[in-house]
Parts: sequence; structure tokens; C-alpha cells
Amino acid sequence: MKFQNELKDSIRKALPELDVVIGWCGSFDRLHATPHFIRREEDIEKLEIGPLSVHNLATYLPGLRGKKVGIVVKGCDSRSVIELLQEKLIDREDITIFGFPCTGVVDQAKIKKALGYVGNVESCDMSDKSMVLVIDGQTHLLNFSEIKAEKCYSCKYPDAIISDHFVGDKIGNGDSTDANYEALETFEKLPVSERFGYWLKELDRCIRCYACRNACPLCVCRDHCAAESREPHWLSQENNVRDKLMFQVIHAYHLAGRCTECGECQRACPVDIPVLMLKQKMNKEVRDIFKYEAGVDPEETPPLLSFKMEEENITEKDW
Amino acid sequence: MNTKNLYLPEMATIQEVIEETHNIVTFRVTLNNQEAMKNFSFEPGNVGQLSAFGIGESTFVINSPPTRMDYLQFSVMRSGEVTTKLHSLKAGDQVGVRAPLGNHFPYENMKGKDIVFVGGGIGMAPLRTLLLFMLDNRDDYGKITLLYGARSPLDMAYNYELQDWLDRDDLDTHLTIDAEFEGWEHNVGLIPNVLLEIAPSAENSVAITCGPPIMIKFTLQALEKLGFKDEQIVTTLEKRMKCGVGICGRCNIGSSYVCKDGPVYTGAQLKELPNEL
Amino acid sequence: MALVKYLKSSDLKSWLAELAQKNSVFAPRYEGDSVIFAPFDPEQEIFIKNAATAPPKKTVFPQSEKLVDFKYSKDPEDLSRILIDAKENLPEGTAIVFGGRPCDVRGFTMFDRVYMSEEATDIYYKTRRDNTSFITLACDSTENTCFCNWVNSSPSDPTGSDVLAIPVGDGLLLKAVSDRGESLLTSKLLSDGESRIGEGEKVCKEAAESLSQVQDLSNAPQKLLEVFDSIEFWEDVSAKCLSCGACTYLCPTCYCFNITDETKGLQASRIRSWDNCMSALFTMEASGHNPRPTKAHRLKNRVGHKFSYYPDLHDGVISCCGCGRCIKSCPAGVDIREIVLKAIEFEPTVVEG
Repeated sequence: MKFQNELKDSIRKALPELDVVIGWCGSFDRLHATPHFIRREEDIEKLEIGPLSVHNLATYLPGLRGKKVGIVVKGCDSRSVIELLQEKLIDREDITIFGFPCTGVVDQAKIKKALGYVGNVESCDMSDKSMVLVIDGQTHLLNFSEIKAEKCYSCKYPDAIISDHFVGDKIGNGDSTDANYEALETFEKLPVSERFGYWLKELDRCIRCYACRNACPLCVCRDHCAAESREPHWLSQENNVRDKLMFQVIHAYHLAGRCTECGECQRACPVDIPVLMLKQKMNKEVRDIFKYEAGVDPEETPPLLSFKMEEENITEKDW
Repeated sequence: MNTKNLYLPEMATIQEVIEETHNIVTFRVTLNNQEAMKNFSFEPGNVGQLSAFGIGESTFVINSPPTRMDYLQFSVMRSGEVTTKLHSLKAGDQVGVRAPLGNHFPYENMKGKDIVFVGGGIGMAPLRTLLLFMLDNRDDYGKITLLYGARSPLDMAYNYELQDWLDRDDLDTHLTIDAEFEGWEHNVGLIPNVLLEIAPSAENSVAITCGPPIMIKFTLQALEKLGFKDEQIVTTLEKRMKCGVGICGRCNIGSSYVCKDGPVYTGAQLKELPNEL
Repeated sequence: MALVKYLKSSDLKSWLAELAQKNSVFAPRYEGDSVIFAPFDPEQEIFIKNAATAPPKKTVFPQSEKLVDFKYSKDPEDLSRILIDAKENLPEGTAIVFGGRPCDVRGFTMFDRVYMSEEATDIYYKTRRDNTSFITLACDSTENTCFCNWVNSSPSDPTGSDVLAIPVGDGLLLKAVSDRGESLLTSKLLSDGESRIGEGEKVCKEAAESLSQVQDLSNAPQKLLEVFDSIEFWEDVSAKCLSCGACTYLCPTCYCFNITDETKGLQASRIRSWDNCMSALFTMEASGHNPRPTKAHRLKNRVGHKFSYYPDLHDGVISCCGCGRCIKSCPAGVDIREIVLKAIEFEPTVVEG
């Protein structure tokens, strides 16, 4: 990334005032990145940003409350920061935001699917358009357009919406237009029994690790989650797909109108369950009723966190 | 204990319920299988799992001594789901028992020695087992001193036997509460401070202490001041437990499993373990 | 000389179908985009090219199982009394697990030391363990996250298996490892495999050579105790951890569990379900005190258990089979190898005076 050095300089200048700056660095192979916690000057060199910077680092912010934290954000990640600010779960004066123009990140599941096996990556080179992978001596060329995360195709906010330091040239954010719910809308047309059957089948393999919950930047109940609580006793510990579905429903409801659709729940799932769609469904309803999009304006209040005597689009008196 | 199926509780009947304090209830239970009750054997310090069926299990020390086998006694402080359910039970109700579990007080090594018991709150329960056991084998031990403290007289369990303990010639009993209370005739002050005032001799002595973590911490410091060495101090630990047999993996401190290798540890053993209380 | 047979790939399903006549057979297959062990279904393709996303742990240690069933009834002699009937719920039947990897299956040997010790035997685990056979697939390729060679194993380690299947040519060379394994190799679909033994050895050798260089972990138990009190160390290595249970639930050697009761009307069950030490509730005490209050404490226990406490109790055996799933499937890229190596290199800072 051409502005990577610019970003490093920017972090270097800010670091003395900060406890930590969170970015990304290389991981166990060249195809993977991992969150990188920069505490010392010498940690800065390892920083890498690009299409492998998949993790939404805003997830770490509530846990670091009280510390001076710098965070590198993609456009989509910045929406989670805004949402956390709206809900007063983090403090603006403690957060230093480093933005960069994001041209999209990869979906590791798509790469795995395209190649069948990505276990022994020897090298990985990326340009704007493609990725060249060498695995077990064999070279594979992948078009970036085939392996991009689903959210990137309809991204309206490639530039951080909120930032203190922005490196590189802005790509230009779109207006708050309608999100693309094409896949969801197709799914919605299926009969109820088929939709329900789909979820029972997909969730059957859920191992209840709650990576979906813990990776979610807005799942902030953390150690007090309904999933594991005995009092109240919402879910049983039986290996029962209905309990697994129940948790996903609770998760989606808690996120209605708050979820920025960063997709971390789905990315984190170790058994690839497409749980993002449930949250998209709730967001779509919120959009239709409240004309609201989460994580765009720090001064807004999410519709389900506010109360109006008379809602504009819910006219229960007419029912 | 069902050794074939470690998780299958023995059915037991509550014979008597004693309201100790506003949040502590004592249950006296017998196993329904008379043969099992007759053959039941345990050591002072062993714990058991009590089942509130359909709610769950929790760990409690057997606080009646093996020298008095008419019933098994458990004192239950209300703190969560299982204990709340247990508190609703009455005489005649069924509970499950998995016992004995864990290790026990090394009373063999205490023979011929002076004994100092220091108990705080519900921490008196395990001490009661050993105290009664020693009183039932009185000749085996030297001077026995008991210091029992609670927040207030209303928080003091085993009220009905305290007078007997105070009256006995072969037991030096001291009671203390945290703050002045009308009508209270005994010590007032935190346990570690009162312990320093009583100042039992460390020579040829063993101190056995149990109570909340903060009390234990300062009691250990007080005992050290009095000259007690690590190996002269015995305590029992509390951890969240499930299986009770060293398998489920949550109660470990380093490689020691409190449910199986504990809950009784000497001060010397504790110093060997990683610092994760 | 142990029995050696050969099975053509095209006969694999027929062979498993034969075995499935008398046993439950589990085999890896795609469910969505993940490879999961599921009851053998001749209608569905078996996937054996690489290790499955989740190991076959659940075949012997189910994600959730009913230990005891309770039934309530009124005492006919005294209607104010409720009688409770408790019934154990022991597993039945025999099972064959096809397609686990040497690391996956060796993982059960680490369970064995805990679940079937001289002090205590877990009857539920033992019943399944005794009644389950393993036809294990040796790896012909390895992944960047594989490190079985660091923990005294190899891509063709037969430990814990009954049959070792080595991909050779267009089929599998099947080597009986146990007597039970021999009895599984009687099908007419199998031909003599003696002539292909050399080929099989070559596959195993090449796979072993493709692994990363072995690291000496012999002083890990001691070093992890030395670094125990350095909260900075553990905060540093756990910073990116999300405290979820993906690593533990996908781990072939993580064996911790919870026991909870579930009530439905006049019936209840005592359930054992997977639990994990990365969860705050795992050690939360009734008083509200938690000996492992942060993810730093919890990750310390996970690493410490595998590389220090377990070896301390079990003849130095590391309770990690090197499958690498915790690395590969971690949503935040936590790498247990890196943590252990860092602990080994750890030098306590000496405070002057």
C-alpha cells in the first residue's frame, strides 16, 4: 500500500501520547493478517494495511476504555466507532482515529472455496486487481473481484467517516443511499418452511463458541450475555438447533438498527455459518420503518434506543 | 459415592432444616439407601455436591464429623440459583448427594499438638467438622483455641452450640464481630486483629483457618507475626466446581485441582502453587 | 507383520456402507463451507483431501449429552412430598470414525489420562471410547498451521488409531494398528496391500518433511510457570484475543465441560456440555469473585494447561496435538506456537535493589 509509510509516520508522531495503537500486521502466512497492538516505537515497522486487513478493530475499543487508544480504521470500521460513540460506550477524547482509503478486503472463505486448499501458502502477492498465491509450489491467480468480501461490493464508505488523521487520497464516500439487500430479498421470497429449514440446517453445525458475539463490535454485554446466563435462563445447554437459532435471533434483535453490517460475526464463525443475513434482515426493517442507517452520524441516536410518543411510520392508532 | 458412575447422585432426604442466619441454612440429610448410609465413610474436610434437582449442583463441606454419623450436615449460604432453590426445601424433601469428594484435613499430623482454629463467616463450616472431630477424640490433641468471627451476631452460624463451646474447659473459645452490637459480650474487631490480641503460641501448634479471601490474607499475615511457619498453617480453598473429581477442568491452580487435590492445603503447599486464588 | 490392505477410492463409500451395517460410521463431509464429521450418508460426498474444519472430538465427547434423567412424582403415601427418580443415561452402540487425522485421534489419548485414570473413571466417556474405532487418514500434505512434529508426533502417527489409512495412488493403503483394526479389514472390497508399503512410506516421509522445523518445547512447563506472574506478558499476548471459544471447541485435546440441569415440566436432565476456559463464567464463583477475571488470565490458563500443568501431571506429555486449528480458525489470529515460544524466551526483568 502506497500510503503505508505515511500511516506509519502519522502513528509514530501520535504514539508518545497514546497507550496503544491498533492496526494490522502479518500473521502465520502471507495470506493472513492479524490485529497488531503497537505500544513501542519498534512495533510500528510491522504494521501492514491492505486487502488482508479484514478485522474490525473497533471491537477492541470498549475493552480498552480508560486508556488512550489509537485505532486504524477502514471506512466500514469507522461506522462501528461512530456507533460506539453514539451509545457512549467509548469516549471520543480518548480515541485517536487513523483513516485510509480502503479499496476492499478479501473474504478468506471465498479464497478457500475457490482453491479448495490454502493450507501451505508459500507466497501471496497482491495488486489492485488480483492476487497471486503460491501454494505447495503451484501458482494460483485470483481476480480480486472474485474474492472480495461481500460487503465491499456495495460499499458506500471506503473512506473513514470519522478520523483524526487520514492518509492517502480520499476515494469519496457515497451519499446515504439504500444498502444493497439483493441476496436477502431473494431469500425472503422463499416460503417460510424453506427459510426455516435453511437455518436449522446451517445452524446445526454451530459449536456455540460465540465467536460471532465476541467479534461483534457492538455486542457489548460480553460477560453478561443471555446466551450463558442461568438467571434468567433463556437458553438450554442441550445440543439443540433451536437454542442455537434462538441465540442468533437474540443477537440480531439486539443489533437491530445498531449493526453496521461489518460482517465480523460471519467472518469469525469457525464453521462458516452465514449469520450476517439475520442482522441484515433486521437492518432492512429498520431502514424501511425509520429511514435510518447505523453508524454514519455520531450525533444521531439509533431509533430503537430512542423513544417518540408518535412514530412517523408506525401508526398503531390506525390499526 | 457411586464410583461406577461419578455423576449419578445418591438420593437423600432432608431430616432437619436449621435457619442459621438470614442467608445461611443448615441441612441434616440421610441417604435413602440405608445400606449406603451405614457404609458411608468420610474424613473431616471432605466436601460433597448437593443437587437441587432440575436446577443444579453446588459444593459444600460436610460439616458434621465422621464421629457422628446419624446424618450428614451441610450449611448453605444463599448466593445463586442452586443455593436459592436449596433454601426453599424443607424436612422430608429430596436432594442428591455426591460425596465424599476432595482431600481432608491432615489431622494425623496434628496429634499431640496445640490447635488454633480461625474461622470467618461461613468459613466456620469446615472448621466445625474438624473441631467436633477433635473434641470427640479430645485426648489426641493439646490445647484447642477457637476464634470465630462474623460481621455481626446475626451473621453467626451455629449459635445454638456456641454457648457450649464457650463453657467447655477443654476449648478456649473467642468470638468476635466487626462492629459494636447491643448486648454483645464478646470481642469486637476484625479477626486478624483479635487473633494478635489472643496471641496463641506457635510452638508445637497448628493453625487452621477458613473464611473469605480478604480475611484469609490478613489472617495469614497475623499468623506469620505470631511465629507460625507455612507448614504449621492449614486452610481450605473455594473454587467454582462442577464434576468434583478432577475432570471438568475449572478449579485448577496450576496443576492442582482444588476439587480433588484440595480443598485443604497447607500454607507451604499454597506457596508452591501459582498465584491464582 | 501387521495386516495391510488396499482400497480403491471408488470403493470407499461401499466399504463404509458395509461397516455402517453394524456400526454408526462418522466421516468428514462439507456442510456449507466447512468440513464436519457427520453420520455416513452414501448420498453425500466424503471429503478427505485435507483435515476437517472441526475434529471428530464430538464422536466420543459430544458437544452436549444427558448424563442423568430425573422424573418427579407425588409420593402416594404423603402427597405433600415429591419423589424423584434418577436414571443414568449411558451411551449405546458401536461407532467407527473414518477420516480423522493422526493429530485428531491422538487427542483422545490425552483425554484418556484424565477421563480414565486410576482415581476416577468417567463411565460415559469410557463407554464411547471403548466402543469407537478409528480409521485414521495419514496426511499426505501439511499446512502452515500444522506443528504435530513439535509435540512428538507426525503426519502418520498411528497413536490411538485402529487402522491407519495412507493415500497411495488412487486409493488408500490400510494398515491395521490394533487387533480391532485387523477385524475391520476383512471386506472383500479390500485387496492385499503388501506391494504398496514402500509407496506408503514415501508419502508419509514427504509429508513429515514438509513440516516446519521442530522447536524444542522441553522447558516450556517450567518457563510457563516462571512467566505466570508477569501480567504484562499475558496482556501483551492476549491483546487481540476475543475471548471466544473457537479455539477450545475445535481443539482435539480440550476436554473441559460444564454440568447444568434443564427442566421440562415433570422431567429434568443433568447435562454435560462443552465449556471453555476462555469464558469469564468458567471460573466465576458464587461470591462474585473470579480468579481469572481478564482474558489475559484465561489465555494464560489455556496455554499453561496444555504446555505446563498437564505435562506436570502426565509424564511430560504436552496436551496439544499440533493440529493448528486454534491458529487457523481464530478470528483474531492468535497463534499458540508464538505464545509458547515467547514464554520459553522470557527473561524476567531484574529489578535493581
